[in-house]
Amino acid sequence: MLELDAVTVRFGGLTALANISFRIKAGEIVGLVGPNGAGKTTLFNSISGLVKARGRIAFDGKDVTGLPLHKRARAGIGRTFQIPQPMQHLSVRENLAVAQVFGAGRHDEARIDEILAVMELSHKAEADAATALALQELKRLEIAKALATEPKLLLLDEVLAGLESNAKKSFMVKLKELHKLFGLTIVIVEHDIETISGLCTRAVVLNFGQLIADGTPTEVFNNPAVVESYTGTAHA
Amino acid sequence: MTVTSATSVSAAIRRSGGRGMALGAGLVVLALLPLAAGASPYLLGLLISALILSGLALSWALLGNLGGMVSFGHAAFFGVGSYASALLAAKLGVPVLLAIPLGGVIATLSSLAMLPALRLSGPYFALAILAYAQIFRILATELDWLTGGAAGLQRYPGLPTLFGINLADRAGSYVLVLACVALFALVYVVLRKSHIGTALRAISDSEDATRVVGVNATLLKSWMLFLSAFIAGVFGALNAHIIGFLEPDYAFSGIWSVMPIIAAVFGGYRSVLGPIFGAVVIYLFDQVIAKSLIPVGHQILLGILLAVMVLLAPNGLSGLVARIFSKTAEKHHAGA
Repeated sequence: MLELDAVTVRFGGLTALANISFRIKAGEIVGLVGPNGAGKTTLFNSISGLVKARGRIAFDGKDVTGLPLHKRARAGIGRTFQIPQPMQHLSVRENLAVAQVFGAGRHDEARIDEILAVMELSHKAEADAATALALQELKRLEIAKALATEPKLLLLDEVLAGLESNAKKSFMVKLKELHKLFGLTIVIVEHDIETISGLCTRAVVLNFGQLIADGTPTEVFNNPAVVESYTGTAHA
Repeated sequence: MTVTSATSVSAAIRRSGGRGMALGAGLVVLALLPLAAGASPYLLGLLISALILSGLALSWALLGNLGGMVSFGHAAFFGVGSYASALLAAKLGVPVLLAIPLGGVIATLSSLAMLPALRLSGPYFALAILAYAQIFRILATELDWLTGGAAGLQRYPGLPTLFGINLADRAGSYVLVLACVALFALVYVVLRKSHIGTALRAISDSEDATRVVGVNATLLKSWMLFLSAFIAGVFGALNAHIIGFLEPDYAFSGIWSVMPIIAAVFGGYRSVLGPIFGAVVIYLFDQVIAKSLIPVGHQILLGILLAVMVLLAPNGLSGLVARIFSKTAEKHHAGA
C-alpha cells in the first residue's frame, strides 16, 4: 500500500529525514516511534505532501512524490495533526461535509451521520468546532474529518497525547474498531510503549532522522539501538 | 468543479432561502428610493454612482470574505473593465451590452497577472495588488495609440435602448446597475452557502486544515480573485458607458480602491447586504451632507463616520441592524 524509497528531507543544513525506506501492507497497524526530534511528524508531512521530500513515495502502486497535498488526500491518504486543527467558524458537521465533498468527491449526509456516531460526536454535530469541543472531542473530530475523506491509509499524529489513562484505553479500543469497520491501514505516531504493544502489529523506529529498527513491537523494544535512543546513551 | 454536483448547488439555494429573501427585500427598498424621490435626475445620478460603488464594494468584500485576501488594488480591475468595454465598443463595434461583460472578462484575464501574489498573505498581498493597480494606470497612460493616453477616451458608445427602455437615461441606467448589483449579490449568496463557500471560509482560518482533507486552496482562492475581478470589471464598464469619458487618472484612481473598502467595512463586510447598503449610505453622506458642510476636504467627515462606526459597531451597519433587531425581538419576547 505505501512504499518509501530513500525518502530524504532537508531544512537548510539540517537533515530531518535521511534515506528512509520501508513498506506498509494494506490492513497493517504500524506504530511510528522515536524520541522528540526523531523525524516522525516530518515523515508524516512527507507522506501527506505537506513538505517536499527527495526519494520516492508510492501509494497504492502509484508514485505520489510530486503530488500536492490535496491530491494525496483525494488519493486516499488521510491524516491528523498533533495539535488538532478544526476548520474554525464551521460546525462539526460542516467540517465533515467539507472533508467529504472535497476529499471523497461526494456528499452523503447518511455517511456523515455514521461517522459522527462512530466517533461519538453526534451530540456535537451542530456545535462550533473551534469553541465548543474539549480536547478529546477535538481529537475525535480530527479523525472524523480524515474518515470523511474515505481514506485507505490513516496517519495519526499523537492522537493519544494529552489524554489520561482511561481515555487513552478507550481511544485505543476505538482505533481498533475503526480499523475493522473502515478497512483501514493505520500508521500512528506514539511515544508510549504499552500503547504501541497493545495496538500495533509492527513498529518502525526513527532516531535523528534515520530508521534504526523495524519489526514487531517486542522485537523493536528489545533492540539495543532503540533502548539507547530512548536513554540517550548512544549520543551522550 | 467535479465534486460540486447540481444537487449540492440546488441544496445551497434552498439553504440560502432566508437570506435570499432578506436580500430581495433590501433590494426592493433600494429600488423604490428613486420613485419616492420623484425620480429627480440629480438624485438618480447620485444613486447610480452609489450603486456602482455598491457593486465594487461587493466584489471587494467577496474577495476578502471568501478568498481571505485584502485588496488595495481594485482600481485595477475597475479601470481595466472600463477601458476594455469602451475600446471594444468604440474600435471593434461590439454591442455595448456585450462589451460590458467582456470588460469583466478582460478584467478577469488581467487578474491572471496577480496569481503569483496568491502565495503571499496579509499585508504582502495587499501591497502587491496596490503596486499592480499602479502598473495598469501607467499602461493606460503610456499606450496612447490604444487608450488615447492622458487625454483619455471620449468618443465611444453609451448605453443602448433595450425592449423600449432607454438605458442611457438616468432611470434606465439606474435599473440596469441595480439589476447587476442584485444579480451579483445573488451569486455571492449562493456561492457562500455552497460547499465551496464553506471551504473558502475554512481556508481563511487554517489553510493546512482544509488542504489536508482534499481542498485545493490555491485553486479556490484563484476563482475568488477571478470572480472579484470580473464583478469589479463589469461595474467599471457600466460606469464608463454611463459617464461617457475615460482618462487613466480617473479610471484607475485610488478612489476605486479605497472607497469600496470604506463602504464594505462601514456596511459590514462579512454580510452580503452590508457592502451594498454601506456604499449607498457612505456615498450619499459624502456627496449630500459632507460636501455641503466642508466643500474642500469633505472626505475628513467620511473618515470620522467610519471611525465612529468601527468603534461602536465593529461588524458595521449590517451588524448594528442585526443587533437592534435581536434586542427588539428579545424585549418583545420578554413582554409577551
